[in-house]
Amino acid sequence: MTYLKTLALSLPAAMLATAALADGETIAVFTKNHTNPFFQTIRVGADAAAKALNAKTIHYIPTKPDSIPEQLSQIEDVVVKKPSAIVFVPVDYKAMVPGVEKINDANIPVVNTTDRSAGGKFLAFIGADDYSLGLETARYMLKAMGGKGNVVIIEGVKGSLTNVDRVRGFNEAIKEFKEVKLLASQPANYQRLQALQVMENLMQSHQKIDGVLAANDAMAIGAIEALDGANRKALIVGINGTKEAVDAIKTGKLLASGDYNGFLQGCIGTMVAIRALRKEAIVTEVVLKPTVIDKTNYQPYDTALETRSCPKWDEAAAMATKTN
Amino acid sequence: MSTSDNILAPASRIHLSQDVVQVLYRLLAAGLLCIALALLTESFLNLNNLLNVLRQASLLFFLASGLTLVILTGGLDLSVGANIGISACLAATAIKATGSPALGVLVGLGVGSLVGFFNGLMVTKLRIPSFIATYGMLWVLHGVTYYYMAGETIHGFPPGFRQIGSGYFLGVPIPVYLMVTFLAVGMFFAQRTNWGQQIYAIGANPVAARLSGIPVNVRLILVYTVSGAMAGIASIVFLARLNSAEGDIGEAMTLPAIAAVLIGGTSLFGGVGTVFGTFVGALILTLVLNGMNLLAVNANWQPLVTGVIVVLAVWLDMYGRRRT
Repeated sequence: MTYLKTLALSLPAAMLATAALADGETIAVFTKNHTNPFFQTIRVGADAAAKALNAKTIHYIPTKPDSIPEQLSQIEDVVVKKPSAIVFVPVDYKAMVPGVEKINDANIPVVNTTDRSAGGKFLAFIGADDYSLGLETARYMLKAMGGKGNVVIIEGVKGSLTNVDRVRGFNEAIKEFKEVKLLASQPANYQRLQALQVMENLMQSHQKIDGVLAANDAMAIGAIEALDGANRKALIVGINGTKEAVDAIKTGKLLASGDYNGFLQGCIGTMVAIRALRKEAIVTEVVLKPTVIDKTNYQPYDTALETRSCPKWDEAAAMATKTN
Repeated sequence: MSTSDNILAPASRIHLSQDVVQVLYRLLAAGLLCIALALLTESFLNLNNLLNVLRQASLLFFLASGLTLVILTGGLDLSVGANIGISACLAATAIKATGSPALGVLVGLGVGSLVGFFNGLMVTKLRIPSFIATYGMLWVLHGVTYYYMAGETIHGFPPGFRQIGSGYFLGVPIPVYLMVTFLAVGMFFAQRTNWGQQIYAIGANPVAARLSGIPVNVRLILVYTVSGAMAGIASIVFLARLNSAEGDIGEAMTLPAIAAVLIGGTSLFGGVGTVFGTFVGALILTLVLNGMNLLAVNANWQPLVTGVIVVLAVWLDMYGRRRT
């Protein structure tokens, strides 16, 4: 009883203490799922930015990956709890528009990251684009092939925005190289095992495969396992710049992985949200350039995520494609 | 032999002869599929590709064989895919920590069986419908696994361990030997043992089974434990084949495994079906994907074709049963 009393008495004091710091804002960070390492990099980036600026983050992640109804109900919860601001990755860029409108109606400032929402009002968009990511990664591999040979594409989930854009980028790059032949473009739903099996099947009908363009790293690694199992060699690229991909690049199994800087997206998105709350100047759009990670530049990606730090605001602002 | 077994024997023989006809239909369908693929592609009928198909079918079969027993009792196990996830991640941790493949196998098998055992307890002691109990289990397992893995992967296992998934013996992949072994054990157990026959009886009429003295709860707990154990086996072969574990590793396999059981002629209402039918079902599903990859079928059509075949197979089955 006495314990409860002390707690009751100390609570308002504690709240006053945080308010007195003039910071300590709470930023609600919405990401798509627990399963894709890319969103983990966004979350860690957001945490790093918030920590550096003396703010807090709360993460909202659907338990069922990419669930539209679940993200919607999380928005409803958050609107009631009223965080200072929101950093928002929509699980679906069209379907979540009503959710964004709810946030707008509640007058909570919100920054859009990763996938550009089809509607709603945002402070800024911080992201990258899958098309140029696919294009640059494929160009890199096709050049490494000497501009000629047979390639296959292993696609992600058909109809998903990321897959449509990445594969469009792959195909565009292939068109640039007249002596490159596309043998097949088959789906493996971003799944490692499915990619392994698709690759095993493709190797049956194609005696010579020189390059594999995979729409994510897990599938690229699945393809490596298939090639290894059959004692065959090909150049392979993936997308996402995961730890596993970096390890495979180090050992020479993977040629490269395209990355669109989830950590930076999380950093800058959160910095923009906090700066807006503090009435400091912000930028309204950052579309990050894709990085093709290969054996010459993997070192920064080879460190534990938690040890990375966000850029200074000047550096971040210099990446802006639109400012106020 | 107890009296109850004598009473059951004639009834189960009738099932068996019906089942034999059903399995013959399935084999015919698989045969037609093979002939079509052999005519349409040059690469289908080479030994490498056939072994390839068998190895791919094996993973699906491990899961589906355990599920067959559950479905024969009139239940369903929706947690098998999530069970692969947690079993694989914990087995991977064990191997990484100790370097011992044997311990990894033990952990995978143990965790898988334990999950199944709990499913069995929920279904029998708490009387929760299996659909709900195992669906709940699915979320519990996802929650724990996603939290544990935090979007990371565990990869790189000793070559000795990898043999289980990617090794060969006398030119035949190791998983194929495992599949044949489990197929033989499963068929023997279901068709030739009292326990197996009692499982059919429980599925056909649980009340009658209880009245005739079959310890229904003990059999049900066993059946769910076996289903979990098979998920454990699948997780080990998965790990050894893919060389890496991630939180959602088996997620995409639950529905295909259920589909394999149904395509194989096992009724969702319980009491009718065979483990051999499930083997043919897994083979048909694998052949369809293999064929589409060999034919380089446009990626957009693949989910549609798979869907149509699943529905067609189950419809043909019900049509066939109405006539017999």
